[in-house]
Amino acid sequence: MSAEETAVELRRLLAELTSDDRALTAPQDTPLLRAGLGLDSLGGALLLKRVRAQFGVDVADEDLNLDCLATIGTLAAFVAIRRESR
Amino acid sequence: MIKCVIWDLDNTLFAGVYLETPDQRPPADPAAMKVLHELSERGILQAIASRNPAEAASYATELTGHSFASVQCGWGAKSAAVSAVLAELGLMPAEAAFIDDDAMERAEVSFRLPDVAVLDPRDLADVPSWPQFSPPVVTEEGRRRGELYLQRQARQQEAKTFGGSVQEFLRQAGTQVRIAPASQQDTARLAELSVRTHQFNSAGAEVSQGTFADLLEQVGQRVVTVRLSDKFGDDGLVGGCIITTKPATETATETATSSTWRVPLLMMSCRAIGRGVIDALLTWICLTARGEGSAAVIVPCVINDRNVPLRIALTGAGFRAGDPPPPGRDRSVDYVRPLTQPLTALPDWVVTG
Repeated sequence: MSAEETAVELRRLLAELTSDDRALTAPQDTPLLRAGLGLDSLGGALLLKRVRAQFGVDVADEDLNLDCLATIGTLAAFVAIRRESR
Repeated sequence: MIKCVIWDLDNTLFAGVYLETPDQRPPADPAAMKVLHELSERGILQAIASRNPAEAASYATELTGHSFASVQCGWGAKSAAVSAVLAELGLMPAEAAFIDDDAMERAEVSFRLPDVAVLDPRDLADVPSWPQFSPPVVTEEGRRRGELYLQRQARQQEAKTFGGSVQEFLRQAGTQVRIAPASQQDTARLAELSVRTHQFNSAGAEVSQGTFADLLEQVGQRVVTVRLSDKFGDDGLVGGCIITTKPATETATETATSSTWRVPLLMMSCRAIGRGVIDALLTWICLTARGEGSAAVIVPCVINDRNVPLRIALTGAGFRAGDPPPPGRDRSVDYVRPLTQPLTALPDWVVTG
């Protein structure tokens, strides 16, 4: 799966979790939490569980500061890199 | 530990089928009623997932005299109804039990939600004696839990239609967060919180009432409580922390300025999620630590996938993870907040002392 395909799949997952299609087209630098896509801390936790199930990347374990939860782009990049490196 | 029992109605909570007897509604099943009452007394929530019109749930409330924290009536899959109850109450599958007389329904829920405890009503008599239905401590907050969840529904309803920001909603809802030193009367509830909290718990281990009581007597240790209320109701004690202001090894000759506050336990009930509590507590800890000459605050936090919400709150409050230890089960990482960086002020609805 290419980085682009990962990003597309991730956006689909975000749209489903937020019940909002904005996630499909929002700019890469859109924040995931709070005012961005509106995920709260529980939503963020759920997202990471789904990412682990779908992409096999355990973000909660590998990114202790959860910096990749900053924006759509940071999470997509993190997941794509971890997938490539195996 | 089971926090919520989700009941089917027909031939489970009811001794009969609701829609089959429109002239004479079914009575309550006596064995189910006994368990419902016993578990409610222990602070375990009750909910309904039924293939019936919504009026059947109103009838169940009338019949049993108990309030149900979440009601899902409809004709979809039972696993979807159970998931909806979990989402509404902010619970994880492993914290719920589902009781249904229909073997197909039980199988479907077991398959989709393997962590939910799925039970046959024929096993009900034994349920109160099972350890996962027996919280070690039952407090006033615990007994009032069902009522508190009803207040939560009213709050969520109003929040949904409120146009402004979260901060504005908290303010107009009359939110009050009270942060104060713990007293001996608080230790039972603090011990209960240490067992029941997972998503907002830094230590991931129980702390007994006796340990809290001992900490209250020790120099250099502080136990802090957080209480929450608003116009919808009083949630009581929803969170707390233990702060070590002086390491045990520190000698009297060392200067106070070298001290760094450590927070070996930080916890909050998931009932308080989205109400500004954890952010208020973290801000208060940092402001107080800085006021007393500490250079940084350290929160050692267990890395597991349950407490991700707490870690999101920590990094949001300016904490950063220190060096990670080697991977393994239940490893702990120090999250550090240097107090030289700017701190936000406490909102005016936070009261201290």
